[in-house]
Amino acid sequence: MKNKFLFPHHYRRIGWMIFFPSLVLGLACMHADFRFNFLDIDLGIQKNLFDSGTLNFTDEIASIGLIISLLFIAFSKEKIEDEFISRLRLESLQFAVYLNYMILTLQILLVHSTAFLDIMVYNMFSVLLLFIIRFRAMIHIQNQA
Amino acid sequence: MKNTIKVQRAIKNITQADLAEAIGVSRQTINTIESAKYVPSTVLALKIAQYFHTSVEEIFQLELDD
Repeated sequence: MKNKFLFPHHYRRIGWMIFFPSLVLGLACMHADFRFNFLDIDLGIQKNLFDSGTLNFTDEIASIGLIISLLFIAFSKEKIEDEFISRLRLESLQFAVYLNYMILTLQILLVHSTAFLDIMVYNMFSVLLLFIIRFRAMIHIQNQA
Repeated sequence: MKNTIKVQRAIKNITQADLAEAIGVSRQTINTIESAKYVPSTVLALKIAQYFHTSVEEIFQLELDD
């Protein structure tokens, strides 16, 4: 059976290699206001006294790195990619979407104002993370049997 | 749906891994089919039957609750 829309098997390793630096960079950006100065881009327009008109690309790099790496890890082929693996994949995807929105619903009810913005940032990546955790766990369980 | 893969394997004296390799799936897939946790596609069922030189009905049978 042919599986469309999947990356080759070795992309998973590439994904992990991009994931950890992006994660560290992303967390540093969010919680320690870390910026690479060489990623400053001058937009050439000084809006006002407090806005210099430069844009720093550190957080953009971190976010895109996280998205690409998580996609690679989530959607690269298994060594033997057969129909049973496809079913596990789909089930895990459904599980991840349900769980993600359950968690988000709770957060909508419990977290307010600026803290909610942080939640939304984490939410950009949580579906893929939940999917990866569930999918790998299911494969691990199958391998034990 | 029940199946007789375990019996067929015993007759041919092959392991789950041997069967898996012969029809191009993982050993785990054969394991879940054999223990009736996973219902294979028609293509896979036909491949298994072909491997044992028999018909699909010899290997897979419906149960009352199907």
